[in-house]
Amino acid sequence: MKVSERWFRLLLRFYPVDFRDEMGDALVEAYRDRAREALSRGGLTRLLNVWLHALFDSLRNGSGERARPAASWRRSGNWGRDAELVTRRLLRARAFAAATLATLTLGLGMFAVVYTAVHKILIAPMPYRESGDLYYVWRDYGPILDLKKGALAGSDIVALQQAGGVIEGAVGLQRFLGGIFSLREDTDPMEIAVTVTSPAFFDLLGVSPALGRGFARNEVGPGHPLVIVLTHELWNRLGADPAIVGRDVRLNGRPYTVLGVMPPGFGFVRNESIGPAQRVDAYVTFEVTLAEANPKAGVCSGLIRARRGTAPEAVAAAVDAVGRAVDARDFGGRGLKLYPVGLKPDLVARVRPALLVLGAAGIVLALMLAVNLASVLVARAAQREHEFAVCRALGANQAAVMRAMLLEGGLLGLLGGALGALAAVWGTRALVAVAPLDLPRREAIAIDWGIAGAVTLLGLLLGLLAASVPARWAARTSLSSLLASSAVRGGGGHGRLRRGMIVTQVALSMVLLSSGGLVVRSFERLVRADPGFKPEGLFTVRVRAPPEFFPEWSDAVAFHERVQGALGALPGVTSAGAATTLPLTSTSSTQMTVTIPGAPGNTGDAERDALLVDVIAARAGYVEVMGMRLLAGRAFEEPRPTGVSEAIIDDNLARRFFPGADPLGARLKMANGKDWLTVVGVVEQARLYDVHQDGRPQLYVRNEDGGARALYYVMRTEREPAALLPEVQAVIRRLEPRVAVGDPRTMDQIVGDTLRQQRTSAALITAFALGALLLAAMGLFGIVSSSVTRRRHELAVRLALGADHPRVLRLVLREGALLVGVGVLIAVPGIYAAGRLIRGVLVGVSPADPLTLLAVTFGLALVTLLTCYVPARRVLRIEPAELLRQE
Amino acid sequence: MLAEGVRLGMDRARHRTDDRPALRPVEFHILLTLAAGERHGYGIIQDIEARGETVVPDEGTMYRALARMLEGGLIEAAARRPAPDADDERRHYYRITDAGRRAAKTEVRRLEMLMRAARLGGLLPKHTK
Repeated sequence: MKVSERWFRLLLRFYPVDFRDEMGDALVEAYRDRAREALSRGGLTRLLNVWLHALFDSLRNGSGERARPAASWRRSGNWGRDAELVTRRLLRARAFAAATLATLTLGLGMFAVVYTAVHKILIAPMPYRESGDLYYVWRDYGPILDLKKGALAGSDIVALQQAGGVIEGAVGLQRFLGGIFSLREDTDPMEIAVTVTSPAFFDLLGVSPALGRGFARNEVGPGHPLVIVLTHELWNRLGADPAIVGRDVRLNGRPYTVLGVMPPGFGFVRNESIGPAQRVDAYVTFEVTLAEANPKAGVCSGLIRARRGTAPEAVAAAVDAVGRAVDARDFGGRGLKLYPVGLKPDLVARVRPALLVLGAAGIVLALMLAVNLASVLVARAAQREHEFAVCRALGANQAAVMRAMLLEGGLLGLLGGALGALAAVWGTRALVAVAPLDLPRREAIAIDWGIAGAVTLLGLLLGLLAASVPARWAARTSLSSLLASSAVRGGGGHGRLRRGMIVTQVALSMVLLSSGGLVVRSFERLVRADPGFKPEGLFTVRVRAPPEFFPEWSDAVAFHERVQGALGALPGVTSAGAATTLPLTSTSSTQMTVTIPGAPGNTGDAERDALLVDVIAARAGYVEVMGMRLLAGRAFEEPRPTGVSEAIIDDNLARRFFPGADPLGARLKMANGKDWLTVVGVVEQARLYDVHQDGRPQLYVRNEDGGARALYYVMRTEREPAALLPEVQAVIRRLEPRVAVGDPRTMDQIVGDTLRQQRTSAALITAFALGALLLAAMGLFGIVSSSVTRRRHELAVRLALGADHPRVLRLVLREGALLVGVGVLIAVPGIYAAGRLIRGVLVGVSPADPLTLLAVTFGLALVTLLTCYVPARRVLRIEPAELLRQE
Repeated sequence: MLAEGVRLGMDRARHRTDDRPALRPVEFHILLTLAAGERHGYGIIQDIEARGETVVPDEGTMYRALARMLEGGLIEAAARRPAPDADDERRHYYRITDAGRRAAKTEVRRLEMLMRAARLGGLLPKHTK
């Protein structure tokens, strides 16, 4: 019979627990009676029949009872009834529920924004076929030149295409020199970003145009008909006319046939060897034969696809083998190497450190939210201590009490997560608006259902985790423990629990605050850094003189002279200049090696004495317009002296070749080695790459001596710089209507764009840190407040015995100060670990910067002590005689 | 708040019996059995079997019905005691309430009306012996 009874009790599990609680024992009695009767009448066989009968009966009626409960007070089952109770309780405590939901929404919303950015940029695969098999290939010049990430020559691309093996295919990508686009001859021209590519490009990526087709294999090389494929964004800008496929458009005045339009999501950006990836508006194919390109000139980005599933090491080995062949053939075996970098890692390398830091900050914030929620729920549970004890005494089991508390926390967390995901929809839009323009995969940063679901689930988990703390405590509450704890000053179990959570919150917020302080300090250093020129009041545009409109070089020079004169004469413009590359815009820069025979700084080693420098071709007046500091000699002047090719070097180049000597009058030669250049001046470097530190040494040459057809014009004005644009456009239209004005920006905008990433990171981390501080402060407020309430009697006795109010106040404040002190101490290892993590994003600031850490500690201490002081002031209002009479 | 906490274990809602729908067969049989005196669960099943019913409810069905009727106030729990015909272990006993008696009588009257209608309609012989 014992076995039968166990079997019947096991079958009760099919029924909901309410039914089990009420009718379970009686049901088992009935089964037992039937089993006894069956055993006595028919032995084991009949008993087994009864067992089987009980099984089917329980299956049927158990599920029936769950679906349609017999009694109305069981209508929603235990979870349903508890959820109803919890909801009603929360609706009655509206202030608490609203405050908690607001905290969770804000915190989880911020977490969701950061998680979206990290996921879309670092984790989500690129939208190409098997994007894990796509790699960029770069040159490492090794001992030949100080250039670790150089562009490939056209012949390198051909070598990769012919390599075979694990390299399935290779294409070259190159900046198109020019880019003045117009739909027809009579429409206004506009500047667009065009990329030249091998015809197999779209096949390599595994993307087909949405309209029309991509390039055919033979649509490349000299003499082929000119064809173009547009991106969806450009097509939209042109009016989104489907009939554009097959029509001719004009690029630099020449007719190109539109083959197709790419689909809307195709956000390909072209990785450059230097600087951020470049946007693309349209694609054309090479007009030269790549195999015949100059092997010494690196001009292409190389993109390869490896055979599916090839390990990165095998890809690196294959590319290395091609590199060794190129080195032997074109560089005499002097040590040129080729190496691959995954498509996505290459794209996100620059932002990865900052994103990881933000991700870590988001995780710390989520932890803080959990601890804060737990602390708040424990405080709430403490208010209901009596109720729990009585419930337990009346027979409510532990599980029932825990279930109710978990439901409350889980419900708050779930709602908070859902609301946070909703808030993050706007949050991500705001982030994209303020984020750097060259942030990779910017267009992909948006909340999708997967991320919303993940954040909601996180909210639920946080809520359950937070609620488990008070749940376990409340389930163990009994009348005896209640009576015992009311005699204890510290408030017993839940008081210790709450203090522990406050200390944790203080520690976590200290970690966030110290990281935030360091990042802000680093950003402040960047903003105050002197970039080597004066950006205020400068307006810049790009003007091209393509060979299609100006066949001879002298025509282009004459055109630029007219443009500079006209722009300098605009009302409000004090001076105008032009150069091939503006400061802080490294993508348009050119690098060449320079030798200065006879310079005192030469070592005698031919390779070391050939220095790789950034070469900037400028017109006269550029140095003055930019406000660059002239350290020696003079800048370029008009009229241009005949018979001399002038050059200006920067202070880095001067120090390298002329330490302690005068460089003026020295003659230098560039790698393409045609003419000697004479140094006429030395300037302080106008930084090309980073605001806060010098990059490669710079060499300025005169654009007229063989620079570029596209120049950036700079105008210094007392007016609002951006207001110059319409007049500039009118000037250019008047001088040459076929030419468009490109890329209008103020210099302040350029500087601001360079700092955008750091600004956004600093703002986000500061927001996290301040949010964490607010949470910790709120927790402290609550605990000091309840401490004063709890200790009223004791404090009244102290006052009655002769202590004065300020002394008693200090006693209460000491409790809060102790918690803060312990929290700060616990935070030390966390601050150390965080410092190592953020080291990569800090500029000019050490992760252990004592000034910042002291300031942050002081700030935290001040805020937290003030927070303790406000509720502690109630101590001052205690009238001991009155209070003791009441008690 | 305390009242809500107590609800974690123990309350019931009461329904009016005169606006109840017709009793289910198993409920009627339970009331029939309990009208004769207090019985425990298996005893009710044995009585139904003894009445010659071809469809005897399973334990699960019967106890769900008992739960419904307890909530509806048609029956109530009686003192737990050992059954004389079984072992010494105490069992849950049930007894009919006044409301249950009224409901049973109402049901009997309803069935009598149906019988009369069946006789008038020729489904049953006019006289019963």
